Amino acid sequence: MDPLLLARLQFATTTSLHFLFVAVTLGLVTLLVGLQTAWVLTGNPAYERLTRFWGQLYVINYALGIATGIVMEFQFGLNWSGLSRYVGNVFGAPLAIETLVAFFLESTFLGMWIFGWHRLRRGVHLALLWGVALTAYASAFWVMVANSWLQHPVGYELRDGVAHLTDFGALLTNPTLGMAFGHVVSAALLTGGMLMAAVSAWHLLRRTPDFALFRTSLRIGLVTAALAVSLVVGFGFAQFGPVGQAQPTKFAGGAGRDALVAEWTARFGPGDYAPPALADVGLASMIMIGMLLGCVWLLLPLLWRDWIIRLRVPLQITLVTLPLPFAAVLLGWIAREVGRQPWVAYGLLPTGQAVSPVGPGVMLASLIGFTLLLGALAVANGMLFARHAARGAADPPLGRPPAPAAEPVRPMSVLA
Amino acid sequence: MELAWYALLGLFFAAYLVLGGYDYGVGLLLARGGGPDRRRASLTAVGPFFLGNEVWLVASVGILFGAFPTLEGELLSGFYPVVAAALAGVVAVTVGVQLRSRPTDGRARAAWDRVVVAGSLLAALGWGGLLAGLLQGVPLTAAGHVAGLGHVATPFAAAAGVAMVALVTVHGAIFLTLRLPPTDAAPLARTARRLVAVALAAVALATIAGGLSDRVRAAPQRPLFAVLLPFVLVTALLVARAALARRRPGVAFAATSAALALPVALVGAALWPYTLVSTTDPAASLTVIGGAASGPTLALLGWLTVPLLPALLGFQAMCWWVFRGRTDGRAPVYW
Ligand code: HDD
Ligand code: HEM
Ligand code: HEM
Repeated sequence: MDPLLLARLQFATTTSLHFLFVAVTLGLVTLLVGLQTAWVLTGNPAYERLTRFWGQLYVINYALGIATGIVMEFQFGLNWSGLSRYVGNVFGAPLAIETLVAFFLESTFLGMWIFGWHRLRRGVHLALLWGVALTAYASAFWVMVANSWLQHPVGYELRDGVAHLTDFGALLTNPTLGMAFGHVVSAALLTGGMLMAAVSAWHLLRRTPDFALFRTSLRIGLVTAALAVSLVVGFGFAQFGPVGQAQPTKFAGGAGRDALVAEWTARFGPGDYAPPALADVGLASMIMIGMLLGCVWLLLPLLWRDWIIRLRVPLQITLVTLPLPFAAVLLGWIAREVGRQPWVAYGLLPTGQAVSPVGPGVMLASLIGFTLLLGALAVANGMLFARHAARGAADPPLGRPPAPAAEPVRPMSVLA
Repeated sequence: MELAWYALLGLFFAAYLVLGGYDYGVGLLLARGGGPDRRRASLTAVGPFFLGNEVWLVASVGILFGAFPTLEGELLSGFYPVVAAALAGVVAVTVGVQLRSRPTDGRARAAWDRVVVAGSLLAALGWGGLLAGLLQGVPLTAAGHVAGLGHVATPFAAAAGVAMVALVTVHGAIFLTLRLPPTDAAPLARTARRLVAVALAAVALATIAGGLSDRVRAAPQRPLFAVLLPFVLVTALLVARAALARRRPGVAFAATSAALALPVALVGAALWPYTLVSTTDPAASLTVIGGAASGPTLALLGWLTVPLLPALLGFQAMCWWVFRGRTDGRAPVYW
């Protein structure tokens, strides 16, 4: 089998998994910041319970975000050594900044936040969550800088076939960056809001004990989702202009496409420079989902006098539409990434030149091995997430007060 | 400037081996039995530091990619199986530790603990093998690519992997001696002392395997540093043993930390000015400068990240300070 195909498949699988979890991370952390800030400001214990319950789910989700992220990071060197060789001078910089500026602090803060309940002062504990959220956004920003550079290489010059950085500012003002970052972040917020609404809807449908708590989070989730879906659609349509201009071969071909293909044929030889049809299928399906999700606005009037809960049907709808935002984020990435084929760095480095010169056997073993490992862990993670979501907010392990000091010293295994 | 970045890369990776090392050591020690309470207490001891330890690896690879892109591509793909094994181990540990306490059922928890044990084993084997692989050189061709992967499967790489497993286990046991309540710490100090003997044997074995390999004899440019390596390890282990006998676990921990950090520095120094020494074509060896990014990239990274280093270290130090001392042996927390 062709190592290139295997490497691409592996990239697509790992990244899709990574993004499913990361979208939830980014969305939920934003909502959590709101909840915990409200708790610290008002002192209302209802907000503490909300923070603990949603925080618990957030932390469970985080485990796979980290695991898949680490595999992503190594994958560049393992499978795409040509990428580092030819464009590493430019493309590596935002990723290095991301790890040092964002991840390093994010994980340090998160560890302290999880273990800091009942130990740190409230203000410090809240500041840690703010730190987690800000660094999570920073990491999304820098990784989008890197991705946008692959979509539209800028700020470099070629010497002996190797790209060298000339203008870092150009990476930050990349036309394929701004709207895409807004779109990704609001898509994550939409995903987080829908997740919160759907879990709450499940509890309200089942009439589990915590009515007031889940009523509140249903409202927060739906309002967030409605605001976010508008942003998603706005940023989404705003992308067509800049991206279409930077990548004339995307979106079924834009102005200047034929001239560009002629230029490439002269420089890189004849070839098929049209992206696979999958890209357009992804784009169209995502847009359909986006329009459909726009209908959350219709649910908002029902929040009045809890009609949404009394009627039940709107709750059922909220529950069954939960997979849609997840499908949309993957379809969107397929549109973006498949749509830039056959290039790793658009118009600069063909995908085939970026793949590592390792044999197909190793590549296949790696694809199967990591897909099975991450897939199994992701399923286990999803099941634990669902179980904790269903268990309700009675006493989540996160932020549980320590046992009284008088207790015997042995830890008790009956504690969850 | 390349040298400064190379030193920073070494510093981050060494710090990862020290900090991640005790995670893996504690992970391996979960296999020693003693029931669910004991396993849970060990994880509580690692508790708040766990997430902050692993990011040293993430940051090392970030520096490797940003500052040494050419080296990154050749190093990781040239040692594919070793790196993939270490990576699978890291992933298993990270998920296992974070999720093992989420199920309430004891059997599911025991299963996750086995994932942590297996992951710790793979990670330690992999990183030990990678350091050994650097010392024995790679078949780098004139085109600048590592040819094939057969070069990694040597007795020396295997022995070094085993030595790394032994080292992190001692290190983990000493960490627990420092962190657990005094009643639980005493038996661990005894375990740690027994493990020192195992580690000494493993280091001796790796030294012999290295001495017998002509590639290991040929690749180092400054053989003195390579020869120093086993002496440093043995000294550190003996110091750790003596310190444990005098009930000074802090000193013992410093000694095993040195045993995990110094190999990185010594391997780097032994190969200097190269990072990958070619066994087939000496002219093809990759120098530190040859593997590095060009000037503007390094300058940019310097301006953006170096001013932040104090903050990075400061927040890590805050974490160690806030959660310093022994766990109190009351209800286990979170992991
Ligand atoms: C909840 C998720 C979600 C929803 C409902 C939508 N999108 Fe989207 N879309 C994404 C999530 C997403 C994404 C995963 O976040 C992508 C992938 C890369 C990116 O920048 O955002 C994306 C990519 C993406 C691209 C490709 C950019 C490129 O190729 O570089 C376009 C043109 C749009 N979107 C436009 C839209 C429009 C017009 C939508 C609705 C009417 C829409 N998206 C709904
Ligand atoms: C923002 C950071 C990202 C970067 C730097 C990045 C980079 C890359 C690279 C280097 C490849 C392999 C080369 C190629 O096939 O062109 C690739 C392929 C791919 N990526 Fe991404 N990617 C990113 C995010 C994502 C996300 C979040 C998804 C989620 C689904 C995704 C989906 C894909 C797919 C489907 C492919 C295969 C495309 C094909 O080969 O036809 N990417 N990407
Ligand atoms: C190819 C590109 C990517 C690489 C190399 C990458 C790498 C990583 C790594 C190594 C981690 C774990 C960090 C830790 O230990 O804490 C991580 C987590 C994260 N990534 Fe990515 N990632 C990529 C794509 C993306 C994209 C497209 C986004 C969002 C737009 C994103 C956002 C995040 C966030 C928010 C986290 C932290 C939260 C979590 O772990 O769930 N990443 N990523």
